[in-house]
Amino acid sequence: MNLPSPTLLAQAILSGIFVGALYGLLGLGLSLSWGLLRQINLSHFALAFLGAYLSYQLATVGGVDPLVTLLVIAPLFFVLGAAIHGLLSRFAVTPLNSLLVTFGLTVIIESVIQWYWTADYRRLASRYADITFRAGPLFVPLPELMTFLLSVSLCVAVWATLRYTDLGKAIRAAAEDAPIAAAFGVNQRTLAALLSGVCAALAGAAGVCLALTYTLTPSQLYAWIGVVFAAVMIGGLGSALGPLFAGIVIGVSEAITMALTAPSWAPLVSFSLLIVVLLVRPGRA
Amino acid sequence: MHVVGLFAAVAIALAAVPFFGLPAFYETFLYLVFHWIVLATSWNILSGYSGYFSFGQGAFFGLGVYATATLAAHYRWPFLATLPMAAAAAAGLGLALGTVVFRVKQVRGELFALLTLAVTFVLATVILNTSIDGGPGVYLSAVSLPAIGRTPASTFYLLELGLAVATLAIAWWIARSRLGTGLFAIHDDEDVAEVLGVPTFRCKQVAFAIGCALAGAAGGIHALFVSYVTVAETFSITVPLTVVLMSVLGGTRHWAGPAVGAAVITIISYASTTGDHVLAGKAAVGVILIAVILFMPEGILGTLRPGRTRSKRQQGEVPQAVVPAGPGDQDFPRPAIQSSTTGARVLSLREVSKAFAGIKALDRVTLDVYRGEILGLLGPNGSGKSTLINVVSGYYSADAGSIVFDGQSIERWPPHRVARIGLARTYQIPRPFAHSSVLDNVVLTAMFGAPALSRRDALIEARRWLDFTGLASKANALPAELNLHQRKFLEFSRALASRPQLLLLDEVLSGLTPTEIDSAVGLIRRIRDQGTTIVLVEHLMRAVIALADRIAVLDQGSLIAEGMPDDVMAQAAVKAAYLGTAANVAG
Amino acid sequence: MRLTRYAVVALLVGIMALAQQASAAPSGPPVRIGSTLALTGPLAATGQVHKLVGDIYVEQLNARNGLLGRPVEWIVKDDQSKQDLARTLYEQLITVDKVDLLLGPYATGNILAAMAVAQRYNKMLIHHTFGIPSLATYDMQFPAWSLGPDPATTFPNTVLDALAASPKPPKTIAVVTSKFPSVQFVAMGAREVAKKRGLKEVLFLDWEFGNREFGPIAARIKDANPDFVWVGAIGLEGNQLLEAMKKIDYMPAEQFYMYPAPGPMVKAPEAKNALAATIFEEHAPFLNNPGAAEFVKTFNERAAKAGLADTAVETQAAASYTAWQILEAAVTATRSLDDKVLAQWLKTHTVDTIQGKLRFNGPSNYGDDLMRVKQVQNGRWVVVWPPEAAAPGAKLMVQ
Repeated sequence: MNLPSPTLLAQAILSGIFVGALYGLLGLGLSLSWGLLRQINLSHFALAFLGAYLSYQLATVGGVDPLVTLLVIAPLFFVLGAAIHGLLSRFAVTPLNSLLVTFGLTVIIESVIQWYWTADYRRLASRYADITFRAGPLFVPLPELMTFLLSVSLCVAVWATLRYTDLGKAIRAAAEDAPIAAAFGVNQRTLAALLSGVCAALAGAAGVCLALTYTLTPSQLYAWIGVVFAAVMIGGLGSALGPLFAGIVIGVSEAITMALTAPSWAPLVSFSLLIVVLLVRPGRA
Repeated sequence: MHVVGLFAAVAIALAAVPFFGLPAFYETFLYLVFHWIVLATSWNILSGYSGYFSFGQGAFFGLGVYATATLAAHYRWPFLATLPMAAAAAAGLGLALGTVVFRVKQVRGELFALLTLAVTFVLATVILNTSIDGGPGVYLSAVSLPAIGRTPASTFYLLELGLAVATLAIAWWIARSRLGTGLFAIHDDEDVAEVLGVPTFRCKQVAFAIGCALAGAAGGIHALFVSYVTVAETFSITVPLTVVLMSVLGGTRHWAGPAVGAAVITIISYASTTGDHVLAGKAAVGVILIAVILFMPEGILGTLRPGRTRSKRQQGEVPQAVVPAGPGDQDFPRPAIQSSTTGARVLSLREVSKAFAGIKALDRVTLDVYRGEILGLLGPNGSGKSTLINVVSGYYSADAGSIVFDGQSIERWPPHRVARIGLARTYQIPRPFAHSSVLDNVVLTAMFGAPALSRRDALIEARRWLDFTGLASKANALPAELNLHQRKFLEFSRALASRPQLLLLDEVLSGLTPTEIDSAVGLIRRIRDQGTTIVLVEHLMRAVIALADRIAVLDQGSLIAEGMPDDVMAQAAVKAAYLGTAANVAG
Repeated sequence: MRLTRYAVVALLVGIMALAQQASAAPSGPPVRIGSTLALTGPLAATGQVHKLVGDIYVEQLNARNGLLGRPVEWIVKDDQSKQDLARTLYEQLITVDKVDLLLGPYATGNILAAMAVAQRYNKMLIHHTFGIPSLATYDMQFPAWSLGPDPATTFPNTVLDALAASPKPPKTIAVVTSKFPSVQFVAMGAREVAKKRGLKEVLFLDWEFGNREFGPIAARIKDANPDFVWVGAIGLEGNQLLEAMKKIDYMPAEQFYMYPAPGPMVKAPEAKNALAATIFEEHAPFLNNPGAAEFVKTFNERAAKAGLADTAVETQAAASYTAWQILEAAVTATRSLDDKVLAQWLKTHTVDTIQGKLRFNGPSNYGDDLMRVKQVQNGRWVVVWPPEAAAPGAKLMVQ
């Protein structure tokens, strides 16, 4: 094993940060619905892919700028998310059963995607794709930078909303003790539907980022589950900044492994990290 | 008994299938069904029964696959000889994992699920990057299949049928055994289970090892079934996800639930393999899954099981009492262990301290409890009374000092061991096992407490204590159907069924109406009268004065008074602690 | 509450009814050919190509009076990209559906699973894209993808021959590969071959199949800066690595991709001059092979109609078509549906296919290594090596 050059290492770390930001963005909605609504929403990944395909469709066929598609996708997904929550809360689904119901939903959405877009590969050709900035010896590609900025700003916005606004405080109160919160006049049902809508809209935003940086095929949606779950658990359920932070830690640790040794060992590092965090600091989640 | 007969009949009928000359496909298809039955049922033994949901079934299955693939293809072992090794390897991994994970109290629920999933990925990465596989996959074409059936399809069918029958029999047996009782209690409230005498760590380890061994064996057979194994396919997320789906669909609290779920999912997913519209079929699988979970949230067997409605139907009936019970009746069993005579010290605390984050909850407490007495333990909120109970019962370990119970130093013992030698407690807010009937709640302590009865004897014992506490008519109800008073009495029954020498009662009277308090006071007297020593932690002065032979008072973690009720109550320090008049009495 | 439940039930029943209506099965005419394909799951992108080709071939076959004057029915099942399911479905095809002949599924793992079943029932198995010839130990299996018996040696030599004849023969090589069995073993062969031919290996690394993060790998290639990169990539991995290299403003002087997804790669500007393996491209001399031109035209139309993003015929579609051609040739020549008779004939005869002439008399029933080297030139794939297969006037281009 040769020691890599500082440039190589720095470039690898940079790409780890970028992919980690995407883990964080994908994990944000998952973490919120898991931690605050006690719903383990597996269909979050299917929704993200649906968002990615819609963005692809609007951009490729309709000629819409991929970022503008977000304005269509976010409200649409908000409604979708609220509807899913309606179904889950109507039947008072337990957290574990929510995993299964949303798995069923995932299978349905995957089938719909494959039916409409086929299993063939789809790549969104955007004008952003070819733009790369230089910072000294390092390269910063625009799509990744956009993903990073979107991820960070959404995570911070959600965090600030939860922490500083009355709405956010009410949501957290309802998550901690619903009956008490209700006694203080918090309308928990509306809040939960609202939050679920936001989570789905976040999935849509993550989908747009996926479309910006990745080639799409329906079954790929399962490829993200393991690592994003890891980011959510390390980051802490219900936390807005946690998954972003944890995602970046995972991304960077994998990138460094890939730069130093055989890249095929990379999963060992991230998942060992997860195991250690779970055993040493189980209280985090 | 009829379950066993039916099960045996079905097993024998299925074993005869290869002799009917059906097309081999049916055997192969049934092989797949059995394969998933084994994986789902073996998963359920730990995860369903105890609620420790594992997402690591892929790791144990996959380790079995690679154990057989490596031994048979590289080391030329005979195929059948590899299967015990596949099982042992998987069980070994499960035990090693359990040894680490089951000691960390907080790793439950989702954390356990994720941890086991992470272990799967780590294992896959190791196998992919070492000579076990290395990347090209392992091809088992040169491995010969023993001729158990007339055709290879029959052989696989019979092997997997045998494994499935064994797995179901084990799952059935465990559900009825001491182990299963412990696991179900862990599912509902692990801390309480441990304190009531369930060796939770060992229960989880044994269940995990058995489940992993079965999954490993299934992996070993499957390696030869697919004949070409690769890391990506073997350790894909499909295995753990499918197994959980199947079990929850069928019902995780029933031994046969996962098998039903496995059969249903394998059949409907197979149904969508033909025709021009496989996508519509796939979507239909998703729709069916959603529908079943929404309308049968406890799974198919959990919802259809006749036992679910039984409790309501029998509520009005009064079960036949084993021992005619009534106030003043003295014919009660004595504590199981009685090694010393009345008047001797049964519990001695010497200089016991316990601090949380620097705050002293117990500060050098020295206290004796004498056999046959009722000791009232008083103190304002936060004075350390509950901590004392938790330290004595072993739930918290003391930072310093010694605790001797019945002549044995117990300060380093796990709670279940303390319970075993005759120490029982109740909870201020009753913590019954929510999914077990009132009767089963009590049966548990009779099995795991000092008498360590068999399930059959425990049933008799439990009914006796339900009679004693007047809950006999509620024997088959679920705890949620009881009112607070009844739930407190369930706490009593549960503690008493373990035939304790010493019973720690944590604010049993709080929240009760005056009439209920009177009946509880009567009950406590009767408990003492039949030979059990009692420590009564209580706020309610009136009841303590009425009941206690002696009183001890805690304030800010220190023992400030001890003696006869009237003497103690007269002390200035006690008055100060209670009435808050003096600033600091303890000095 | 009750109303909602009824509404949900009604909705579910409605969806189920639709699903049922959609899957009505046709009734079966005489010659029945059975296969499974990965119509759903991770291999579906390629599985659907084979489905399309099979449909086209059966149509053409029936239009010219079927097999032995009997109509042909193709029974195709979805193995969901799973080996154990493929195995079970082949058993169903043989013992329950009692099909006359078999065709293989898609992807090496599933083909091996099917091959074991075929062997047990003494059925001939013609398969399309099987990547590891040495694992094909059954003597009645026939590959439609003519890799030769030892592609790990022969094919790297073809690629390095092509480069040696280029204006800038490489002196250093980097071998990077996915740990996907059928590309990994060729990459390992490429290392050996390169060493024998005196190329200096400046980098070797491998990654787990399913890897999402190619930035560090690209950075390491850039750091090693080889004259030539051999990329053992399958499916999207090629594109992912190319994009990652573009993002750090790097393009190797010469680069080869084993089995990339052809559509996405040819469309990517950064893939300019990238090389890849193929057995068929949509130009002469391949189009001069019997039936090739007509098939390409039909496939282009049908793929477009089916909504595929990539409608071109290349390795997968051509191998699939070839499999059917082999089957038809053997049945027509022997006038038999007997697996043993057909297999015997195939071992001793050559078959004219759109790939060229195929023979099956080498080790593992493999014949010549007909793998060609193609290159992205002006937004399309062009075969550049060996000269006899190259597009008219096409030459290997270097940066």
